[in-house]
Amino acid sequence: MMIQVTNLSKSFEAVQAVNGISFSIEKGEVFGLLGPNGAGKSTTINMMSTILKSDQGRIYIDGNNLNESKNSCKHLIGVVPQEISLYEEFSAYDNLLFWGSLYKVPIKELKQRIAHLLDLIGLTDRKNHLIKTFSGGMKRRINIAAALLHQPKILFLDEPTVGVDPHSRNRIFEIIETLNKQGITIVYTTHYMEEVERLCNRIAIIDAGEIIAQGTQAELQKMSDVKESVEITFNAMSLDQKEKLQEFFSLTINSNPNKVIIECDVNTELSKIISACNTCGLIIEDLHLKKVNLETIFLSLTGKKLRD
Amino acid sequence: MILTILKKDLKLFFSDKKAVLLTFLMPILLISLFAFAFGGTGNNSNKKKPIQLLISDVDNSIDSKSVVSKLGEINEIILIPKNEEEATNLVIKGKYVGVLILKKGFQDSLKTGTSLPMELKYDAARQIEMGMLQSVLVQNLMSSIGQKSIKAKMNSYFDQNFAGIPNNVKEKIFSDMDSGNGVIAKTMNSKMGLKMTSVIKEDTSTGNLGLIQAVAGTAIMMLLFSIAGIGGGLLDEKDAGTLKRLMYSPLKATDILFGKMGAALILAILQLVVMFVFSWLVFGLPIFKDITALVLMILATAFAVSSFGMFLVAIAKTRQQLQGLSTIVILVMSAVGGSMIPLFVMPPIMQKIAVVSVNYWGIQGFYDIFWRNLSIIDMLPKIAVLVGIGLIMTLISVQLFKKNILKLIYA
Repeated sequence: MMIQVTNLSKSFEAVQAVNGISFSIEKGEVFGLLGPNGAGKSTTINMMSTILKSDQGRIYIDGNNLNESKNSCKHLIGVVPQEISLYEEFSAYDNLLFWGSLYKVPIKELKQRIAHLLDLIGLTDRKNHLIKTFSGGMKRRINIAAALLHQPKILFLDEPTVGVDPHSRNRIFEIIETLNKQGITIVYTTHYMEEVERLCNRIAIIDAGEIIAQGTQAELQKMSDVKESVEITFNAMSLDQKEKLQEFFSLTINSNPNKVIIECDVNTELSKIISACNTCGLIIEDLHLKKVNLETIFLSLTGKKLRD
Repeated sequence: MILTILKKDLKLFFSDKKAVLLTFLMPILLISLFAFAFGGTGNNSNKKKPIQLLISDVDNSIDSKSVVSKLGEINEIILIPKNEEEATNLVIKGKYVGVLILKKGFQDSLKTGTSLPMELKYDAARQIEMGMLQSVLVQNLMSSIGQKSIKAKMNSYFDQNFAGIPNNVKEKIFSDMDSGNGVIAKTMNSKMGLKMTSVIKEDTSTGNLGLIQAVAGTAIMMLLFSIAGIGGGLLDEKDAGTLKRLMYSPLKATDILFGKMGAALILAILQLVVMFVFSWLVFGLPIFKDITALVLMILATAFAVSSFGMFLVAIAKTRQQLQGLSTIVILVMSAVGGSMIPLFVMPPIMQKIAVVSVNYWGIQGFYDIFWRNLSIIDMLPKIAVLVGIGLIMTLISVQLFKKNILKLIYA
């Protein structure tokens, strides 16, 4: 077990930011904390990364009680903050040199690590350029590299793609995937469900300071009871045709008499549905697949959209 | 749209209570301070506080004792008896404005009408007090000894040149003198002559008083501003998120504060060195007359100022707060401490208040080196005060910073 969080709570004056959450993360996992803004994701990360004291609960980092061995834990974790926390007037190289030196990495080794990380994030040729001349995506990549200089076992990434263009976002995903392959356990917070879907093995859905559900995406789908469906509009549908189609599938018919919704496993049952429609002599005018994703699961579990 | 923006900005401003306080209360305090410094408290009483004058009665005769006694009755002066050497040293150190010495032979001279052996040694750095003192002294000395001395002198003159002059004529002449309005009296008054000696012997090694005031006063005030600016970098780090990132690292909150303070201290030393070298090159300030003392004073002043700057930073939560707070506090300290206006032109009460200011101790220390020619031993109390201010400010800053750092990060 790389991280174990038990009954963690934190309030700021009258606001209960985190309310008795518990979860555990295995070594080498990419664990996603998914929730809307203000859900308590950053507060949880701040408590796990030692800078915020919890009101209640326990955190174990690689077997170390965080409250008892804060300094050891600081060496085990790397944090990529939500903000681009770099010195704009320093070059990329000087920034990395500074942040690495805080962990007392011997200078020769530190320089080797910087070279390796610059290569990993694809910014070796820009290493001597000032951060203020970098694009948002490049700054984000340096922001990640700065958290890796002391070779942490765990990397916390707090919404690392905010304000980044799609190309840079992909680049960041590739970096995270590479780091995970190298054995680093990753805790990833975001309110973008597609990022969690791509990167995370397990997910905790957090809302109003509480974990609503956690598990793999398939497990979450089961918990939410959300089904995939296909929505078909025919050019016309007689009562006979409808009854015949109902022999194959359970149908939901909405206000449009020519439209049906069929709950199914889209990946395996779609061809069967189309074939049945043909058998019934129905001509398909329009077809929409409604696949289950984290957005729909979140909506089902919390009753609100992720970006509300 | 403009109205919406205006309303939003006003709302933001009034939600920052410290900023509101600094904007409205502090200017009122400043106005009060300057009004008090230059115009009194507004009750128009114009009642002056007595000046402390050292008196050294070397003659120790009936007449000299009588003079001391009469001077002691003057409301404008508080007499403090000291021996000549100790009194002179105290004036050199700037503790008192001057010492009146009634020398050996004072009584004899008074009887014979010869020039009176008395001397007023004074601190030229306290010109305003000195002017008031001189005026009070001459006026009162004349009433107590002037007439006696002049009568003796006139008697001797009449006996030598007009041996047969009738007594009633002599008395008429003395009566005119007693009134103090006669031409003779006025002439004699001016001839009584109180020897005035500055305790500082101005020579090539002594700096110009105005120059020392300008350099030391300005240097310390500007230093305070720049240190507050450097310390403000901590608040910039908060805004940039680097302060939070520093806290993720194994650093402690105090490491961050001391690191910033160390940088401020080095820059403060550099700034003072540059200012003094500039004053030497351009204005001829004799910075090498006691280089050890100067180095010690620069170090002590830089320490006090940089820790004071950190104290301001530890109080403020935002750059705007720091800017307002530091401007007001530094201006007040500079005004009170003698950076903006020389201390010697301020009323005595303001000179007493000045000791609460870092500027005061710094400026007085530099006076000791360049004007009073004091030894390092004599300067030690001022250096100790500066170091003490630095230590106290550092301790307070550490406590405040440790307490507020999380608030800073999440503010």
